[in-house]
Amino acid sequence: MRRRTLHSLAAGAVFAVAMYAATNIRLRAAESEQNSYRWNLPKGFPIPYVPADNPMSEAKVELGRYLFYDARLSVNGKQSCASCHKQELAFTDGRAVGIGATGESHSRGAMSLVNVAWSGALTWNNPTMKNLEEQALVPMFGEHPIELGLRRDGGFAQWARSDAIYLDLFPYAFPDAGDPYTIPNVTKALACFERNIVSARSAYDRYHYGGDDSAVSESAKRGEVLFFDQRLSCFRCHGGFNFTDSTVSERNPNRTLEFHNTGLYNAPGLYSYPPPNVGIFEYTKAPEDVGKFKAPTLRNIAVTAPYMHDGSIPTLEGVIEHYAAGGKNGHDNPNKDPLIAGFTISAQGKADLIAFLQSLTDAAVLHDARFGDPWRRE
Amino acid sequence: MTRRWLIRIGLTAAVWLGAAFPQTPQQTSAPVIIAVSGDVSTPLTLKAEDLAVMPREKAKIPEQDGTEVEYEGVPLREILKRAGAPIGKLRGKALTTYVVAKAHDGYQVVFTLGEIDPEFGNDQILVADKRDGKALFGYQGPLRLVCPQDKAGARSVRMLEALEVVKLQK
Repeated sequence: MRRRTLHSLAAGAVFAVAMYAATNIRLRAAESEQNSYRWNLPKGFPIPYVPADNPMSEAKVELGRYLFYDARLSVNGKQSCASCHKQELAFTDGRAVGIGATGESHSRGAMSLVNVAWSGALTWNNPTMKNLEEQALVPMFGEHPIELGLRRDGGFAQWARSDAIYLDLFPYAFPDAGDPYTIPNVTKALACFERNIVSARSAYDRYHYGGDDSAVSESAKRGEVLFFDQRLSCFRCHGGFNFTDSTVSERNPNRTLEFHNTGLYNAPGLYSYPPPNVGIFEYTKAPEDVGKFKAPTLRNIAVTAPYMHDGSIPTLEGVIEHYAAGGKNGHDNPNKDPLIAGFTISAQGKADLIAFLQSLTDAAVLHDARFGDPWRRE
Repeated sequence: MTRRWLIRIGLTAAVWLGAAFPQTPQQTSAPVIIAVSGDVSTPLTLKAEDLAVMPREKAKIPEQDGTEVEYEGVPLREILKRAGAPIGKLRGKALTTYVVAKAHDGYQVVFTLGEIDPEFGNDQILVADKRDGKALFGYQGPLRLVCPQDKAGARSVRMLEALEVVKLQK
């Protein structure tokens, strides 16, 4: 069994090298200061921040992949992490809001896990949730709403010990642990797998970092200029290599994070946004924080519809129209970010902007076997 | 026949090599042009060929990934000097002179002449046309300001199109 696991690791490594070689991106083999794990990152991508108590390792990444796709990690065996984070949808689920194992609806949409290693804030509206290991506990054990619906006394250690694959992988991933079959180790392995999902091979990457002028269309090039135009100011919240302003890295792990009210609602009453989606106000209790949410990465945004925290806008065109109007329903929201000032854009400009956003789709990450369901092969 | 076959083999090899090792195309970009106007004795319009023969400098800027990129271009002070701005002669009312850098998208920032004059701030500010040896393209170019002494990047104007010199006290 160990041989099979090692073979799968080796095959994954070979595949990774082949995929990178196929692109025109200059690779930069970077070694983290914290550990010897090698991030094969293209130019422009900083080394991610990794907690000191959970250094990256290939073994943990592989264990995390099995756990990520394991429906036994839900109360009724019906859902795994992958149920709401589907690889082909850039690890979202295509729904406006998530639905848990027992059928309970979440109030917000499942966020993409692509490039989550650089995500300073992990959820739409919790400014204190910065750690993937800690965040994994929410869908596993949370009750409001129930997502995976696990119970602490659910007998995880028993069934994990009885599975031949885990009998191999847990000690391999945690060789120094007396008892490796623990929930903290589950969350550590899941976090390592999630950090390893790097999207850097889009057509835009080949154009912008790889110098391949033919990688994107002329329309996408015009759209890029519009995206970085001061009048539209898209880049002000969706900037940097990961197209978000919540990026952290090994060199800059404690950046001040921004959250934005984009004028989506201006409801009468106590809150201007429909509860329970009141933004970071839920945690800060500051009235000016009602309606402030994270600006997510725009990488692979073309495959992660519907949009906004509650999935209330079905298309990219609708999102552009929302911002062009300076926020439609919430145009006059007192907490609206001044950057949402509105702009005029032609039909061609809109098409160009969408072409640019589509150029951020990384087909490789949507189909890369290293991020796929390992149980399918067994 | 032998020669024809050799030519065929040669052509096939050339096509195969071309496919296996495609040339990296140069990114297309708008024509390089920058206008200098306002309170100067010689309003200017500079093109790529003008910038190529002016004094040029390089500046290394740290990137988000911890690497450095090297920008190359003409120092802003050299362009303003050529337009007749009082660089090196900043006295009295001339010290109220500033330059507005204007971008294609309407973005504007201001520098005082005192910041860039060698006898005062002596900041290196470049009107850059190259990044790591390649022409600036897309939303960055074809010209941009590079301000190595600034801690934040907001004055490093992309898509730079014009410089307007304003003397507050005449």
